[in-house]
Amino acid sequence: MKRTLAILTANPLSLLGLVLVFVVVFSAVFADFIAPFPEHAGAVVDFANFNQPPQWPYIFGTDLVGRDLFTRVIYAYRISLILGIVVLAIAVPIGVSIGLVAGYLGGRTEYVLMRLTDVFLSVPPLVLAMSIMGVLKPTLANGMLAVTVMWWPWYTRLVYNITRGEKEEGYVLAAEVIGASRLHIIFREILPNCVPAIVTKMTLDMGFVILIASSLSFLGLGVQPPTPDLGSMVADGAKYLPDSWWLTIFPGLAILVAVFGFNLIGDALRDILGAEQ
Amino acid sequence: MSIPTLDIQDLKLGFKGYTGYAEVLHGISLSVAPGERVALVGESGSGKSVTARIVLGLLQELRTARISGSVRFEGKELDRLTKRERHALRGRAMSMIFQDPTSSLNPVFRIGEQFHDVLRRADAKITREAALERAASILAEVSVRDADRVLNAFPFQLSGGLNQRVMIAMALANEPALLIADEPGTALDVTVQAQTLQLMRKLVEEHHTAVLFISHNLGVVREFADRVYVIYKGRIVEQGPTRAVFEGPRHPYTRALMAAVPRLTGGGIPDIEENSPDFGAPIEIHPDEVQT
Amino acid sequence: MNPLARLLAKRLATSLIVLIGVSMLIFAIARIIPGDPARIALGPNATQEQIANLRADLHLDDNIAVQYGYFIADVARGDLGISLYTNRPVTADIALYLPATLELVLVAGILMVGIGLPLGIWSARWRGRAADNVIRLISLLGVSAPSFVWAVILMLLFAFYLPLFPIAGRISDSYAIAPVTGFLLVDTLIHGDVRAFGNAAWHIILPAFALSLSGIGQAARLTRANMVETYDKPYIEMAQSYGFSARRIANRYAFRPSLIPSLTIIGLDFAAMLGNAFLVEAIFAWPGLSRYGVAVILRKDLNAIVGTVLIISATFLLVNIIVDLLIALLNPRIRYSQRPA
Repeated sequence: MKRTLAILTANPLSLLGLVLVFVVVFSAVFADFIAPFPEHAGAVVDFANFNQPPQWPYIFGTDLVGRDLFTRVIYAYRISLILGIVVLAIAVPIGVSIGLVAGYLGGRTEYVLMRLTDVFLSVPPLVLAMSIMGVLKPTLANGMLAVTVMWWPWYTRLVYNITRGEKEEGYVLAAEVIGASRLHIIFREILPNCVPAIVTKMTLDMGFVILIASSLSFLGLGVQPPTPDLGSMVADGAKYLPDSWWLTIFPGLAILVAVFGFNLIGDALRDILGAEQ
Repeated sequence: MSIPTLDIQDLKLGFKGYTGYAEVLHGISLSVAPGERVALVGESGSGKSVTARIVLGLLQELRTARISGSVRFEGKELDRLTKRERHALRGRAMSMIFQDPTSSLNPVFRIGEQFHDVLRRADAKITREAALERAASILAEVSVRDADRVLNAFPFQLSGGLNQRVMIAMALANEPALLIADEPGTALDVTVQAQTLQLMRKLVEEHHTAVLFISHNLGVVREFADRVYVIYKGRIVEQGPTRAVFEGPRHPYTRALMAAVPRLTGGGIPDIEENSPDFGAPIEIHPDEVQT
Repeated sequence: MNPLARLLAKRLATSLIVLIGVSMLIFAIARIIPGDPARIALGPNATQEQIANLRADLHLDDNIAVQYGYFIADVARGDLGISLYTNRPVTADIALYLPATLELVLVAGILMVGIGLPLGIWSARWRGRAADNVIRLISLLGVSAPSFVWAVILMLLFAFYLPLFPIAGRISDSYAIAPVTGFLLVDTLIHGDVRAFGNAAWHIILPAFALSLSGIGQAARLTRANMVETYDKPYIEMAQSYGFSARRIANRYAFRPSLIPSLTIIGLDFAAMLGNAFLVEAIFAWPGLSRYGVAVILRKDLNAIVGTVLIISATFLLVNIIVDLLIALLNPRIRYSQRPA
């Protein structure tokens, strides 16, 4: 762990990733202290200052009802991060368990579970989430649900492939020979070997969950106003291009910065953990 | 005395890594005369494979590698050649045979296509038909009878022994002056390995090709080589004509190596102590029996 | 049986099973809608009787298994029902909107492969050098923003500030092209109207590029990663020791074996564009499935939702089958083995 952190900070790119993620997380956690106009995160109007280009004190400009965009971007980060964490916290254990069981047990269990996974993987992710959001009320919780439903199969695939390889390895055979229980073999012998791949994928996915969630809200199928959300900010602002460019560009770049940061770290982790395997 | 095909003097190699500088070769010297078969013997990690790669000029392109000393090929200092000139030697004046024939052939191209690429190194305009014809005739020299089937196959469709013959045929296709054989056939089983080595020996004799033979297998070396260099941890510890070295090993490391030999399988790395203060003893040189 | 035919048969069978699964999944999702679709469809002024009639028409009063039975029987006849939103057969709606989306996705796919693979090859060939770092950074940026953000940025830069490309639409209004295939780039050529073709191509460049950017990045990253691994293989060292040129080693000896594992993912990414096209279409007012899809979702138009998702999934599966066949064609181990891998 310490070593990993040391390597991460030694490489300029992963260091950049750490900095970006730190900035995003820090501003989301301490939004109440950083945001210049915390009340602008809600349904406030200030028509005296509406649709202002970037200028002090509105460094990202203001929206059509006069709210500070910088404040809204910071609060939107908070929503995005919560969403990402919750989605992964639910999707990863489910996906990983199914992948382990299917990969280790094989046979009919494997066939049923993997075809089930294929079903979910056969709907383009965004379309699946869209149709789920379509039938549910567009709330943050339902957004998380929709993204979770489309996310777990990727972990099943990943872990399934590793498990199938690992199960032929000597240490698993040895555990079988001494009569270890299936549960023990799956979770104590095989799972630890999947952890580097899972951790790497989770880091990358923090970015991609934010990306997909913003796509949903861009289509109007995510978090609803007045809750600040990066995707819906871009969608709302797109109608006022090119004149009020800041309405789309800053939320858009905000997505890019967060996702890019997580991807930089994820990439570096893949190199480090992959090499150690 | 004629100009040696390969002459290495005081070759040093180090790598610059995260943890600092690590020297792998501490100044080795060896030479191979035209048509001579010379073995470089040592355990894995002793520096024998990197030596081969330096001769081919493959390591020079690594930015972390630091190389000093002299490597002369047919009297030409490799270091002084331009990149293009050095590149021109590869596959034409010198070629190489690798440890595992099957994984050294590209899995997604037919043998014939790969042969064509090899032959194109000597004759850039050679047609596919001419290349296949030439390939078939060289394959015949390594006792491959159904050359058409082999040339039309992918490496995974052929046995390891057959792939090994293909490799030998490829290596000699352009009549190189020097052939480097890096543990050839270690991945094969012993009988197949012995057969292909005999073929190789016959061929290099006929073509008068000089060979630098890299191996940890003393039995094989004894059969194959005219002269032997024993390398230990980046230093040559003993050298001389094969008979002299085998009959009267002087260096403690060589003796340890020999003592570990008598075994049926011949494969695998001999069981010798990881380290011993004696192994650091200075180099032992046997006089040549016949002056070349 | 020829291994390729056997592979195709097996993949088709699996895909059919999966497609039935998808239909169940999407049918289940559509039927858990809170609220009465009949009431939503007929609006607030409908009488109780009208609603009851529509419910009967839609079999909404039967249990879900029976409803699914009716649905599958209809699908088998090529009938996806009537859209409550447009009052037309869903198949007709999809036939109207799908070609524009497919055209966009196909062009984006060509860009993804045509730009992403060469970038990946260069990156791997110059691994560790400046060119590699630049390409890696660019491709990582590419995958780090949703396509609607790229659409906005590209539009701002190349349609507004530098007015090189049109802002919206598939073709200028002055051209009237009678649809044959629905693909404008094809139809204009069928009519022999080269200027209209040029106009359509000019319109598709920005949206297709915006859509393909993350795919380009993904393809480049994947190709690089697999090629870097391949560069450590003995057969690459052998190619080097025989003095094959670095370019030939990269483009041929290292690329070809690396392409095989990359293709599956590239196929998935390509198929994912079917969904992402929705995002780009919204920005560039591209008259594809997006507006229809979002509209029917917001209006809880059951038949249309199910139909749209089913068609998209079928396309998705078709792409995957094509990719699998392509892999089999490229990988001699599959082509020449008796057991399909």
